[in-house]
Amino acid sequence: MSAAAGNRVPLFRAEGLELRYGRNGRDRNDAGQRVAAFAAERLEIGEGEVVALLGPNGSGKTSLLKALNGLIRPAAGRILFQGEELRASRALRRRSVYLHQSPYILAGSVSYNLYYGAGARGIARREAAAGVAEALSLLGLAGYERRGHRELSGGEAQRVALARALAAGADVLLLDEPTASADAASAALVLAALRARAAAGATIVFSSHDPALAAALATRTLVLEAGAVVADRRE
Amino acid sequence: MKEAFFLLVSGDPETWGIVWRSLRFSFFSTLFALLPGIPVGVALGVREWRGRRTLVALLNAFMALPTVVIGLLAYSLISRSGPLGFLDLMYSSGGVVFGQAFLAFPVVASLTQAGLAKLDPRFRETLVTLGAGPWRRLFSTLYETRAVLVAAVVAAFGRVTGEVGVSMMLGGNIRFSTRTMTTAIALDASKGEFERAVSLGVVLLAVAIAVNVALHALAPREAS
Repeated sequence: MSAAAGNRVPLFRAEGLELRYGRNGRDRNDAGQRVAAFAAERLEIGEGEVVALLGPNGSGKTSLLKALNGLIRPAAGRILFQGEELRASRALRRRSVYLHQSPYILAGSVSYNLYYGAGARGIARREAAAGVAEALSLLGLAGYERRGHRELSGGEAQRVALARALAAGADVLLLDEPTASADAASAALVLAALRARAAAGATIVFSSHDPALAAALATRTLVLEAGAVVADRRE
Repeated sequence: MKEAFFLLVSGDPETWGIVWRSLRFSFFSTLFALLPGIPVGVALGVREWRGRRTLVALLNAFMALPTVVIGLLAYSLISRSGPLGFLDLMYSSGGVVFGQAFLAFPVVASLTQAGLAKLDPRFRETLVTLGAGPWRRLFSTLYETRAVLVAAVVAAFGRVTGEVGVSMMLGGNIRFSTRTMTTAIALDASKGEFERAVSLGVVLLAVAIAVNVALHALAPREAS
């Protein structure tokens, strides 16, 4: 689709990629055929790019984001992360986090969730404290530490999930509709946090229905339709 | 009724001996059922694999089997000529605990499996994407489903405390040795001696209520 800058190995490189719906791509349509959720002969995303995936429901945005995080296995082709097979890449698990459109907050407090993300990546609690405090403050969650997972609104849960990813030290953020369940205030906080991370060099790939969000944040826009990239624009 | 309460209030050693023995058997059999029951439940609950559904159906069938049938199966294992006959468990406390653990195992495994199968698919993806390794994922899953595990313990304890068939067949209802609350009630009632039967029935009722209240109180509020 598009080459990464210079001769450097791109962060993500997909070759002959085909993603299908259902477990192990087994779902079929009414005609009994297996359907591709997303397909691309070649797709590269460079380090530090902020990529917006725009397109209607069913255009393959979520499938692509999950595949970039190794959460779904391609039915055909492969994805490389820093030149290495994605599913075998330790760097991918250390660097990247995928955020659901409606994120799952673990049963426990906000603080538990943030420390969980850091702990899962082997960051000791004492070392994680500064990152947790910074992530909470960046997303306007200072004072929320002891709040339970059931006491959060949709927008707050989205901010907690993003804070959890940042506290875990993720600098490759794969976000499915990051402001979908947020009110205006939450959306503004998420946008500001993402801008700050992008300015610090993070790579962000996010899906959205909102061209205004894409314009405000993205350095590159991929327009998806029926499982294919139909436009690739750089700002 | 008055005599029944007198037996309890006066601290009758034989009556209270039966109560403590029953509780001890139930405690250890539940514990021994949890050790294999939770791993099996986890293995059946976290992902789809060939033969999984058949095993789940089998566990559910075992859960519904009458206790005498379970007793018979356990009997065939620990009787002199059975594969575990060398352990010499027949008509001993060990035999009752073995049989009751056999009875409680499908309850624990099946309830754990059912609880885990209901977990939101986003939960597993969240753990994976955050970089949690297999052990951390396992412990996080158990922590997330702690209310289900507590329910499995309660159900298993209830099943073994209230059963008669296994204790009777494998323990033999031997006085001061393997007599439990339920086998004592069966024997006393058959002899027409209702005082102890009623007193033990009252204790069984109290135990059932106390265990349920205690475990639900211990369960984390978020998960209950």
